Amino acid sequence: MSLEELNKLVETGETEASETAARALLAQGADPLEILDSLTKTMERVGNLFADLEIFLPEVMMAGEALTAVVNIVKPELQNTSGEPARGKVVIGVVKGDLHEIGKNIVKLMLETNGFEVKDLGYDVDPLDFIKAAEEMGADFIGASSLMTTTIPRQKEIIAFLKDKGLRDKYKVVIGGAPTSQMWADMIGADLYCEDANCAAAKMAAMLDEKTA
Amino acid sequence: MTTAYRIWEMIDRSKTGPHIDEDDFLPRLFTPTLKKIIKKYEIKYDAATPLPADDAMADRIWQAGWELFRDVGVYNIDSHRIIQVTDEEIREALYVAKDRYWVGGGKDARLWKHRQVEDTEPPFCIYSPDITVDEHLHHSMCAAYLKEPLLDGFCAPILENAIGQLIASGGPTEINGCIQHIYNMRAAARQLGRPGTFFVAVGTAEHDAGQIAVSNNEWGVRTTDARLVGSLTEFKTADTLLNRSVHYAQYGCYTGSLTGPIYGGWCGGSEGVAVTLVAYSLKGLLIHGAMFNQHFPFHLNYGSNTTRELLWPIAMAGQAMARNSNLLYTSNGFANAGPMTEMLFYETACHALVSTVSGWHLWEMASTRNKYRNRATPMEARLGTEVGHAVARMGMTRETANEIALKLLDRYEDQAATAPMGRQYQECYDVARALPTQEHYDMYRRVKDDIAAMGVVFPF
Ligand code: B12
Repeated sequence: MSLEELNKLVETGETEASETAARALLAQGADPLEILDSLTKTMERVGNLFADLEIFLPEVMMAGEALTAVVNIVKPELQNTSGEPARGKVVIGVVKGDLHEIGKNIVKLMLETNGFEVKDLGYDVDPLDFIKAAEEMGADFIGASSLMTTTIPRQKEIIAFLKDKGLRDKYKVVIGGAPTSQMWADMIGADLYCEDANCAAAKMAAMLDEKTA
Repeated sequence: MTTAYRIWEMIDRSKTGPHIDEDDFLPRLFTPTLKKIIKKYEIKYDAATPLPADDAMADRIWQAGWELFRDVGVYNIDSHRIIQVTDEEIREALYVAKDRYWVGGGKDARLWKHRQVEDTEPPFCIYSPDITVDEHLHHSMCAAYLKEPLLDGFCAPILENAIGQLIASGGPTEINGCIQHIYNMRAAARQLGRPGTFFVAVGTAEHDAGQIAVSNNEWGVRTTDARLVGSLTEFKTADTLLNRSVHYAQYGCYTGSLTGPIYGGWCGGSEGVAVTLVAYSLKGLLIHGAMFNQHFPFHLNYGSNTTRELLWPIAMAGQAMARNSNLLYTSNGFANAGPMTEMLFYETACHALVSTVSGWHLWEMASTRNKYRNRATPMEARLGTEVGHAVARMGMTRETANEIALKLLDRYEDQAATAPMGRQYQECYDVARALPTQEHYDMYRRVKDDIAAMGVVFPF
């Protein structure tokens, strides 16, 4: 069993075979950190293939699942946990009144495949429920999706409620969805605007690095 | 209505059907079943032929769509259960569905009939900009669309404000916007001397309450009109959506089922989109008692359906349904480019040509990736429906249509990702008179002449 083979199995979403391969590699004495490093690169590739629609959503999801399974096996073997790719916790949902959930689902998937822990609140989510869930989870980010001009004011409400509760600095608020923009993000005081799922993962990771630095 | 008598059985099943977690429904049930079915029926996309003439494959896609709907069912995210139907019920519903309905009222009423592949009967043409518009432009845009001679039905743009207040989804301002929406439509239709025009309304209603608020035969949405009920992509529904179909049936208007399978999403590629389109039509019929199915498959990245990976499933699903059912279904164009660009005209023409020859009715035309306020005009819809009428009247074969589609694709396909955004309505229309500017008209004429040179014989 080689690291290359494991990467191939994860990429094609073969969860069980990936688990077996990961165990075999560890038994052969492979470095767990090296395994995680190379899998991170593979997932980046998967993300890029999806961005060009050379593969489709279900394939990304399966690769993500295989990755999670391998990480669960490899993680306990890490001597030094500070070596783990540090990624954040996110609560994400579609704001109240809005049923457009496709974009949010894709963002969630891309975050998960990039190592974030994501709590999905679904759609039609009350502003206060975002905050409640973030408190419960100990989240780093609150991600709010809105697809309609008639629902984007709800993104602003989340930020207003955070201020009212004295929690504004505790969370980074990330917004997205077709009618939103950098201008809107600036206007309502959101911490980050992302136009698509790919840049969301990258920008949020960068933000986290800044925070921990 | 076709299957409204089963409404309560369907609602009941959403409480008693098999349970599955919402997170598992698509990855564990829908997509794997779809993949298996695509393999079983040997469905294969061919990029070289955006409009195939393969009857055997069309029939297999019909079977595949039927099987997908039967084996997967529809997930109600509120009850966390699956509504399932049997083969017998599908057969029954298809038998009971009529192949023609009178829609609209008085002298403006129209007979809307099922079409065949390569049918010489022109498609039923519903005009719709599919976008939001500034409040002060709404009436003008309604009038501009209702001025179109080939319009058989009309779905108006969507309001974001009413009486100067931003509409808040689900709140009282939404009800207010819905009333404004239908009043503008009615006023424009009466002013233009076609008061009985068939409407699909109102798009401003984001919730069941908004729809229910405008059901009124005197001033509102009439029983000779239709309204839409959406699906949560893919194959999911919710009580707020079922509320709509129950209300439409009980009010007595027509129901249209609105679905947009996504290329690159849970259906995968072109094959999956084709099969899912067929399955969605059965969903509309059986779950919502829909009289027609309104389909807008689109590309995950572009938000359009005028490139070949989307034209192929449109062509194949249309042929599958034309050959195997007597259903009514509209093909909703989504373009990359914006108004008053040659690209938008070519995209619309190509979408209309492929759809019409494959047995669809037309619903034209969402432009600029269906994303930007005020960016749609009747002119692109005019060209699309004129192409539809032309190729039907000519009895154009799929082979010829495929050749012309390739020529049209040649005009724009390489710009799908970078398409120009064009202009807003008020920049290429005289708003007061609701007529296109000369520059806009000239561009339409130029493209129409070019398409005529490709072999499309326009009736006028
Ligand atoms: C598909 C669709 C539907 C489907 C939704 C299915 C579902 N379950 O999601 C159905 C048919 C149900 C539907 C219904 C309606 N729709 Co609709 N719909 C669309 C459409 C065509 C595409 C949306 C989509 O899924 N795109 C694909 C995804 C992948 O892209 P995305 O959502 O933009 O997400 C990406 C980015 O924005 C970003 N992102 C998104 N969220 C987030 C969040 C975070 C935190 C981050 C970082 C990034 C991020 O990353 C994503 C991936 O790259 C849009 C038009 C458009 N072009 O957006 C209209 C649109 C959103 N709909 C519209 C309307 C009006 C409606 C209806 C009211 C129609 C009606 N009368 O019934 C209802 C409303 C129901 C409701 N209460 O919500 C309007 C909204 C107008 C407005 N006021 O602004 C639009 C804009 C069309 C238009 N131009 O008029 N719709």
